[in-house]
This record gives sequence, C-alpha cells and structure tokens, in this order.
Amino acid sequence: MTAAIEVTDLTRRFGSTRAVDNVSFRIEDGTICGLLGRNGAGKTTLMQLLTGQDFATSGDIRVFGETPAENARVLQNVCFIKESQKYPDDFRVKHVMKSAPWFFQNWDADFAETLIDDFRLPLDRKVKKLSRGQLSSVGVIIGLASRAPLTFFDEPYLGLDAVARHLFYDRLLADYSLHPRTVVLSTHLIDEVSNLLEHVLVIDNGRIIIDDTADNLRGTTTTVVGKASAVDDFAHNRTVLHRERIGGISSVTLGALSPADKREAAAADLELSPVSLQQLIVQKTGSPASETEISA
Amino acid sequence: MTSTTFSAAMKTAPGMRTRVVNVMRLHLVNRFQMILAPWMIMSFIFAVSLLIGLMFQPARASRPDRAADFTMEFNGAVLYFLIYMLVLAVMAINQVFPFAQSYSVTRRDFYVGTILTFLTLSITYSIVITVLGWIEDATNGWGLDVSVFNPGFLGPNLLERFSILVVMFLFFFMVGMATASVYVRWGAYGMYVFFGALALLILGLSWLTTATDSWIAVGNWMATMGLLGVVMWSLAPSGLAIITGYLILRRSTPRN
Repeated sequence: MTAAIEVTDLTRRFGSTRAVDNVSFRIEDGTICGLLGRNGAGKTTLMQLLTGQDFATSGDIRVFGETPAENARVLQNVCFIKESQKYPDDFRVKHVMKSAPWFFQNWDADFAETLIDDFRLPLDRKVKKLSRGQLSSVGVIIGLASRAPLTFFDEPYLGLDAVARHLFYDRLLADYSLHPRTVVLSTHLIDEVSNLLEHVLVIDNGRIIIDDTADNLRGTTTTVVGKASAVDDFAHNRTVLHRERIGGISSVTLGALSPADKREAAAADLELSPVSLQQLIVQKTGSPASETEISA
Repeated sequence: MTSTTFSAAMKTAPGMRTRVVNVMRLHLVNRFQMILAPWMIMSFIFAVSLLIGLMFQPARASRPDRAADFTMEFNGAVLYFLIYMLVLAVMAINQVFPFAQSYSVTRRDFYVGTILTFLTLSITYSIVITVLGWIEDATNGWGLDVSVFNPGFLGPNLLERFSILVVMFLFFFMVGMATASVYVRWGAYGMYVFFGALALLILGLSWLTTATDSWIAVGNWMATMGLLGVVMWSLAPSGLAIITGYLILRRSTPRN
C-alpha cells in the first residue's frame, strides 16, 4: 500500500512543552483514519503540521511523498477543516461558498448545494452570526464538497445535533465510496464514528500511544465482570489493563481471550463483554471513565 | 507525486498566476466591504460638502475677494479614504490570511496576491479620484467652489496628482499590511514592542534633528523636494514594509 502521509521523528515544541513529541507513523492512502485523543493531546498541532499551517521543530513530514510546508503542489490536494476556523468578520456564508471552488479543484457545486439544503444553512447570513452548529456545518460542507484527495476534519461537528451528525456520517461514507480518498477524522465522539474508521491513531501528551486498525482494536480487549473473588482468580496471571470495583462486584479489562479462556470464564459465572473503542481509549489515556469528557 | 498513484485523482497545481489571481478574487469576493462601502462613505462626504458649499454660496458671492478665499479648498475626504485602505490592509492580514490558510494557500501565493490586490486598488482608486478632481476643476468646484477630490495641496498637474495618490495609497496599504503581520506573528506583545520601538525611533530622529539644529534644513529640504518629491520618498518605507511583511508572514501560523 502507498502512504498518503508518512511522518518520521516529528517534534513540535512551544517553549518547553512538546505539543508533538518525536512521533512516527503513516496513514495509508484511501482510508478513513481516526486521530483520537484528549483535549490538548496534540491533535490540532499535528494536523496543522501535516497541512503546512505550522512548522516542525524537527523531524520529517511527507504528504503524498513531498514536504507540505509552502508546497502548493501538495497543499492543492489537501483540505483542513478546523473546529476553531476563523472567517473574515464581514463574510457571509455565500462568500465562503463562492470562493471555496477557486481553491479546491475537485469541488462539486451540485453536491455543495445539496449539502447546504440538508444542513439548512442560510446563505445570506454573516458567518459571525451563525450558531455554533451552523458554523460547524459550513466546515463540513466545504470538507465534503471539496473532495480533496486528503481531507482533515478536526472536531468537525461541534454543536451539531444528532440528526446533522448522522447526516455528516452518511454523506461522508457515501461520497467516500464513490470518490475514494484519504480522510483523517479527529473527534471526541469516538463511539459514534468507530464504525467509520479503518485505522486509529491515539495521541496522548504529544505521543502516539495506539496505531492500529480499528478491527484489531475492537478484538483486543474484553471486560470481565462478576463477583470480586471470582474475577480476581480469573485475572490472576493475566495482564489487567483496567480494574474497577463496586462493593462485591469487580470488573477488569483484559487482553484478547481465547475460546478456552471464554469457557473458563463462563464456568466461573463471569460475564464477558467487548470493550468499545471509546472505553479502550479512555482507559489507555489514563483517566477514570467518570472524569472523561464525553461531549455532546 | 508523479511516480506513485493514489486512490484519488491528484490534481496538478495550477500555475502560480492562477493561484495568485484566486487570492486576489478572495480578497475582493466581499464587494460591499472592499469596494462599495468606502465609495458610499466618500459619496456621503461629497454630498455633505456640496450642501456646505450651497449654504455658504450667498455669503461668498457677496465678497469681492473671492479668489483669496480658500476656506473650502481643503478637505479631508481623500485622507479618510487612505485611512480606510489602511484598515482594509490590516484586515486582509489579520482575517483573510488565516482563512486563506484553511483553503491550503501557501503564504507566498497569499502575499503576492495581497500586494497585487492592493496595487490594483491603488491604481484604480487613484484614477477615479484624479478624474473626479479634474471634473471638479473644470466645473469650478461643482459650481460651488467645493474641493473634495482635488484638495488644494495636490497641485494642478493631473499626472502629478495621480502619482501622489498612487504612492500614498501604496504607503497606507503596505504599512497596514506589515504592521498587521507583526500582530499575526507575535500577537499583542509584538504590537507593544513594535509601537514602542517606533516611538523611540521617531523620538531619536527628532532629538538628532534638534541637537544638530537642523529643523530649518529639514524644512528647506521638504520645500525643495515639493509634495511630489516628499511623497515619492515614502516609497522607501513602503518597499521596506513589503519585504519585512513577507519575512514576518512566511513563518506565521494562523491562531486558533
């Protein structure tokens, strides 16, 4: 397979903090990749580096085989939709929709129009006056209709209601299958998008802590719930990723279980359940589930 | 990008000329703000000036020394226009630059497009003002001795007037652009340092002039240069602003 993005030993320092800390990974061409992590983990900085908006302190970035910074040949094929995107003060939605096609050669005007209807976006309103959800839909529409060979969505649906979010997922999947391209999706709503993702990168404190296919990740862990003593017996000699206990009931997260393991667990009257991508990431990024932000 | 094939059809970038023209179109896409609004305000100032002219007409007509009366000859309309352009330049860097980054425009393409936009506006607006000033002269100040588009200090020569206007427009555009890029790159602290340094520079130059007792020499120099000469000298800071503006912006990152 060819890599759309190839990053080697990438570091971005701001003063003494390392927003991105010696990171190496590749994103295969023609996949939807999730870039997940907590607030301030370094997701946006990483995407800014990949799209030439920021400059690396050290390390190497290849996007479609070339360095992206100030490289019109590469950037021509890249679209970065940022949650915090600022628009010129006096711009109306129509100014954005009119100018976007000048910069994205794959722009599909009909598709854009359909999306504007779907999201009920008022064209004549000033961008400044849009609600949070409407503002997000401006980005979503540009990201989809531009059909850039490499599209980044950074927290694209802040403030969008459930209907609009599902509209986005549906449109993205449908258009992605008709027009294959590489999509990097960064979000907090991990469970909502986990079916979309083919590959998952999890960044924490500037470092990549998970880099795997979504299928592998879904199969790698299991939660075992039952009487505390039985759970402890079962977990003994196995690697415990996470442990919780309420009264006499215990729950542990373990690595992949073999069929024999599962029979043993059933015999001990233990309940097994797969761990969702979101739970997995919550546990890996090291904070109790109760404290983790699950927005919208 | 040539040897490997990717799932999506890669687009080869259009030539730099197309990319730069697209940046210019982006600057001008909001016609109201860039073109209509300044001229609407200009028209309003013009209308008010005409009304004032009308108001004083009876009084002026009764005065025998009409020629010596130049109270209506100076008007700040053109200066207002220049300040508006400075504001446009600041917004172009402060607001359109981060937006253009989201359209994956390189800083270099953006900068060249921005300068060409301002150059185009400078020339177009200078032509319009010069032509209106010429009509103003020919009609004796719109029949009311009113000077709006030919403020007295610009002199009678049309070509000279046009040159002065273009160079002044450029000065305001470029200075606005360079100052705003300091802000985009270094934020509020950058502004403190920049204006602090500017104040010290002006103080230092004044001090030097006073200490060497050269104010009269400076005045004489300006008198010999004439307005055209002095204005032409502003090309030096304008050019400096273009170069430093680019050096600052080429490493700037749009803020979140």
